Amino acid sequence: MNFLSDWSTWFPTLLDGLSLSLQITAISLIAGLPIGLLLALMASSRLQVVRVTSVALVEIGRGAPTLVVLQLFYFGLPSAGITLSSFVAACVALALTTAAYTSEILRAGLQAVPSGETEACQTLGVSPLDTLRFVILPQGLRIALPALMGFAIIIFQATSLCFTIAVPELLSQAYSIGSSTFNYLSVLALAGLMYAVITIPASWLVGGMEKKMSRHLAHVH
Amino acid sequence: MAVSTLPKQMVSLRGVSKSYGDKVVFRSVDLDVAAGEVTAMIGPSGAGKSTLLRCINMLEHPDAGEITIGGKTIAAGKSTSLKEIEALRRKAGMVFQHFNLFPHMSVLQNVSFAQQRVLKRSKAEADKRSRALLDRVGLADFADSYPARCSGGQQQRIAIARALAMDPEVMLFDEPTSALDPEVGLEVLAVMKELAKEGMTMIVVTHEMAFARDVSDRLVVMADGAIIEQGDPHKIMSDPEHPRTKLFLRAVVGR
Repeated sequence: MNFLSDWSTWFPTLLDGLSLSLQITAISLIAGLPIGLLLALMASSRLQVVRVTSVALVEIGRGAPTLVVLQLFYFGLPSAGITLSSFVAACVALALTTAAYTSEILRAGLQAVPSGETEACQTLGVSPLDTLRFVILPQGLRIALPALMGFAIIIFQATSLCFTIAVPELLSQAYSIGSSTFNYLSVLALAGLMYAVITIPASWLVGGMEKKMSRHLAHVH
Repeated sequence: MAVSTLPKQMVSLRGVSKSYGDKVVFRSVDLDVAAGEVTAMIGPSGAGKSTLLRCINMLEHPDAGEITIGGKTIAAGKSTSLKEIEALRRKAGMVFQHFNLFPHMSVLQNVSFAQQRVLKRSKAEADKRSRALLDRVGLADFADSYPARCSGGQQQRIAIARALAMDPEVMLFDEPTSALDPEVGLEVLAVMKELAKEGMTMIVVTHEMAFARDVSDRLVVMADGAIIEQGDPHKIMSDPEHPRTKLFLRAVVGR
């Protein structure tokens, strides 16, 4: 049972890494989701310029591999005179990726609200802004919630890419322990386990939520 | 000279036209509805009845013509601000075929929401009015339920209460019973009859021939993108002039 004593030695260091991974995930979501919502709303604007801008930003954001975006913000921007710490670069890059991906999820959620309800608001004289705020958003966000949770799991896993820009998150910590002990298999297995302890219960939660949502939707209409 | 005692025109359409691309829905329609009058619009599917109704409150923008509700006029073709359109819509309440209630709000909230946001009534004021209206449509006990818990007939009566809460001068009904079982539709028709008796101006697009004959003051028959006949419902039902009306009535009444 040699590996168990190794694991207990490494665990505190890896836990620090995990905490950093979770912080990056949280910041990316908190900063990225509002931008995603803005892009989703822009996509259904009456002005073509606004629509095209939204589509272009989303396509670039989704088209560029996350690893490339990370590298760009950390290694690329200094050449343009902007230097970000590895942590900030990671948060910015992942927030923008979050914005691009979630805008599509949110757009689908908002569009799933029946247009008849918008018409009802129009006939009642409710302003477009109030219609969005009180009718479309509360329902659209609820519809989008399971998919957003699923995306949060993916972005948490994507924080492991931050190891390439020297952010001391979970994978970096595991890698540095591996390079000093040459026990790569054991330490990476522990790191993998720690990712799974977060992601597997989270996906159960999403599954449960999806089931509940479909029940709710079947109930209406 | 005697002062005119003609009833006030509540709704009037002048030369209203609408097409989608090449397809003409209706061309240059004129229609007058007096205050307190109940007008039923019948006709075959695709005649443009619903589209015409939706043009009255600008849910569809007509290509040409003028629409007046309660003295407020909007002319098609000219650029019209959302404020003007909202002022026109404020005068008309609308009831849809599929109710279009807000499923995430309670029945009470459905009726109170626009009163608070648009008419700036306080929550207490709005709820008081909503409860009175729900009572009037026979749903006082459902105030705290959600629409999904209500039958189709109940949902449509909630939708009527929601429209009435805005104190409209005219009520537009777009096939209000078409999505309902015939038996359930009767509850809705009863509420509409009550409204008509109280003197509400109503324009009703419907396939309910009994309602059109017995409740409406005037029958408007639309076919092929035009009003082909209008007048006393009993007269048209028993002795239609236009051959197209005859054909339509034979199909819906004589079955």
